Amino acid sequence: MSGVLLEATALDKSYGRIRVLRDVNLTIGAGESHVVIGPNGAGKTTLFKVLTGELFADGGAVRFEGQDVTRLPAHRRVHLGFGRTFQVAKVFPRLRVQDNLLVALEARVRRANPLGRVPKARADTFPEAIEALLNDTGFGQQREAIAGTLAYGDRKRLEMAMVLALEPAVMFLDEPTAGMSAAERQATVRLLQSVKRKRGLSMLMTEHDMAVVFGLADRISVLHYGQLIATGTPEEIRHNERVKEVYLGDGDEHA
Amino acid sequence: MQVADIATLLVNSLTWAMATFLVAAGLTLVFGTLHILNFSHGGFFMIGAYLAYSLANAIGGSPSIGVYLFGSLVAGVFVALLGLVVDRLVLRRLAGVEDAYVLIATYALLLVCEGSTKLIWGLNYHSVMPPAVLDGAWLVGNAVLPRLSLFIIAAGVVVFALLEYFLNRTKPGRLVKAIAADPWMAQLLGVNVRLVYTATVALGFALAGLAGGLLVSNQTLSPTLASAFVIQAFGVIIIGGMGSISGAFLGSILLGIIDAFGQWALPGLPGLPFFLAMTLILLLRPQGLMGKAKH
Amino acid sequence: MQNTSFIGCGFRRDVLILAVVMGLALCVPGVLNRGLVFIAGMIWINAVFGLSFNLLFGLSGVLSFGQAMFFAAGAYATAVLTQHFALPLVPALLLSAVFGGALAALVGSVALRRSEGVYFAILTLAFAELIHLLIANTALLGRNDGLAGLVRPRLGIGSWQVDLAAGDNFYYFIVGACGLLILFIRWIVDTPFGRALQAVKQDPERAEFLGIPVRMHRLAIFVLAGATTAAAGALVAPWAQIVTPELAHWSNSTNPILYTLLCGSAYFWGPVLGAVVLSAVFYVTRTLVGMSDMVTGVLLLVVVVSLPGGILGLLARSTRREDKR
Repeated sequence: MSGVLLEATALDKSYGRIRVLRDVNLTIGAGESHVVIGPNGAGKTTLFKVLTGELFADGGAVRFEGQDVTRLPAHRRVHLGFGRTFQVAKVFPRLRVQDNLLVALEARVRRANPLGRVPKARADTFPEAIEALLNDTGFGQQREAIAGTLAYGDRKRLEMAMVLALEPAVMFLDEPTAGMSAAERQATVRLLQSVKRKRGLSMLMTEHDMAVVFGLADRISVLHYGQLIATGTPEEIRHNERVKEVYLGDGDEHA
Repeated sequence: MQVADIATLLVNSLTWAMATFLVAAGLTLVFGTLHILNFSHGGFFMIGAYLAYSLANAIGGSPSIGVYLFGSLVAGVFVALLGLVVDRLVLRRLAGVEDAYVLIATYALLLVCEGSTKLIWGLNYHSVMPPAVLDGAWLVGNAVLPRLSLFIIAAGVVVFALLEYFLNRTKPGRLVKAIAADPWMAQLLGVNVRLVYTATVALGFALAGLAGGLLVSNQTLSPTLASAFVIQAFGVIIIGGMGSISGAFLGSILLGIIDAFGQWALPGLPGLPFFLAMTLILLLRPQGLMGKAKH
Repeated sequence: MQNTSFIGCGFRRDVLILAVVMGLALCVPGVLNRGLVFIAGMIWINAVFGLSFNLLFGLSGVLSFGQAMFFAAGAYATAVLTQHFALPLVPALLLSAVFGGALAALVGSVALRRSEGVYFAILTLAFAELIHLLIANTALLGRNDGLAGLVRPRLGIGSWQVDLAAGDNFYYFIVGACGLLILFIRWIVDTPFGRALQAVKQDPERAEFLGIPVRMHRLAIFVLAGATTAAAGALVAPWAQIVTPELAHWSNSTNPILYTLLCGSAYFWGPVLGAVVLSAVFYVTRTLVGMSDMVTGVLLLVVVVSLPGGILGLLARSTRREDKR
């Protein structure tokens, strides 16, 4: 793991008079898988939105590969290498699975130019790329299915495949195992591990399930009432007094 | 510019403003409660006006003030009944439909209004003489203040006052406001939301019909009446903040002043200041003067 | 969820359909009288108008209530260019399309900045009325009377000349020009740009997070639709030989909405079929004043309330049921 890929410094965000993020500092290294945990309402989703460009911070800075992206709109951050999945998987419901992936692949080439063209040589590689993505995410025979008709787990996988099509440097995963059964959860963890291994990308995710967290995390950050109260390796976090206070004091998180 | 001219401009502004407010009131009420932007509201206003005209025609000559007001009430009641039919047949079925399609559906309803008006009353222009008491003007110093204009201004203020009283000081009115803010919660508390919606629609349509009757002497009647008022009403409630009666009231005064002074300054381009103002406000403050910003 | 027929309905099949329809259209002057040939020409123009609207609405999810401003811009531009500047027809038409696109760029860059959905629709309505007012009050454009007595010029390169004023020649020209425009619009749908627009319509947030600049895409299609609308309007000038401010009235903005919704916005050919059906309705009801409004209004209401896919949607569902048996 060499060098810092993403660095957030002193992030502040308020909704009206409510301060949702206070002075949050976070770094993600290359190839690192970083999980943010915290009780509901701690500000995890807001942190995500600020890091990915869905919202702009009121104070502080976000730097990616040394570049200041604090006020860069979301789609430009995607061009730099951000990928994002949502808690409730977002795909294009009325397109076929393969067309969802096609749109992602084309978006990567066309970037900020609405009328941008895809060179024929490039376009010819797409069917193969789509095949590869479907295999990587364990999709099987469903390339012609309409995305809106897919089962929930399959939608999540399709979303993952779409984001991977962008070949991101860092992936932001908002509760990747939300609403899943134990078996599905394990499958997702395995998938994320293999993706991380194969592509060497960094991941930042929020999660509630501790088994998933400890199974995937290189580093963990704990958010509580908008403040980062601890950052470290899983071992360090497990033994952190403040964290224990927050978690055990507030009652058990569902495992 | 002399004082008399300013007085005339003010009277013109306020007449335009109150006429538009009378039309816009029902529109904004329905939008605020049901979140349906009823394109056809102008059409029902027009039907109200034509109904009042037919009544006046049947009686003949220049109606007395009593007949005039009675005609407006009749128009209001009749259009309210039409509103109940429309609610049953159309508005209820628009419950889960996307905004764009709702707009299109209510536009289709406007076409039906215009079509039926043309079929029943024809294309010719009609007019209704104002009651004798409202004819002519008062002379205050050098200023000429048409009595009909003053009547319209008074009518607008009265309707505003009554609506504000109803919505803020009476139980049923406050219920309407509560449902507008949170229908789910209201339902949970055992309120028959559907009934209140229907009643609100009836009230909104009644206001349209009433406005038609009250304003019937203000302009010539033709099937294009609906289109003219639709855009004015839209502009006013957008500027005022969709769903806010007081916003519509203030918005119509603001636009009335802009329109009248604009016409005085740029006589060759009627309506231009109105559109410029509407566009500017939509761009700078899309939620309107009194509306809530969505974040 | 219904499969959108915008993707994968077959470019080749649609080109074939277009060719067949054009072929049929070319036979029209042989069978129908002058009056009906005029209407046939207007149907082609309105079909392009409807298709342009659907580029915005059906493909990209952008509802504009003001497309008439571009239609009128094209019509007046061609009228002025051919009349006052004696420009040859084809350059005039092309310039009119560019003018429409430029106007759309201006309106779109302002309107799309803050507005979406209903607010955007009403803003476009306001802009269109503004243009309507400006046209109706400009002496150079003939005020409320418009510009009349427009000629159908000659068309030609070098020694090859066709007099479009003679016989049904201009009708053939309209069929050809509209055919090209329809082909262009169809082509857009199958490009990466077209697919990205569908994505933007279905989930703008997802699109943004794939790196698709959502606002720029909406602006781009708004400009293109403005240009093709203006091109359609441009053909009206020499065809009807008169242009009036009515062309910019907001009731003209709602015509393409009617064509599109009647037959289904999810289908490429929806607006074309809609233009044909509604033109027939208007023609049949033309003597009874108010009837066309009634019929159109009721049809549209029925479609929105009970037939969301339009007539073509209904057909698609019934054929699917047939397949299942």
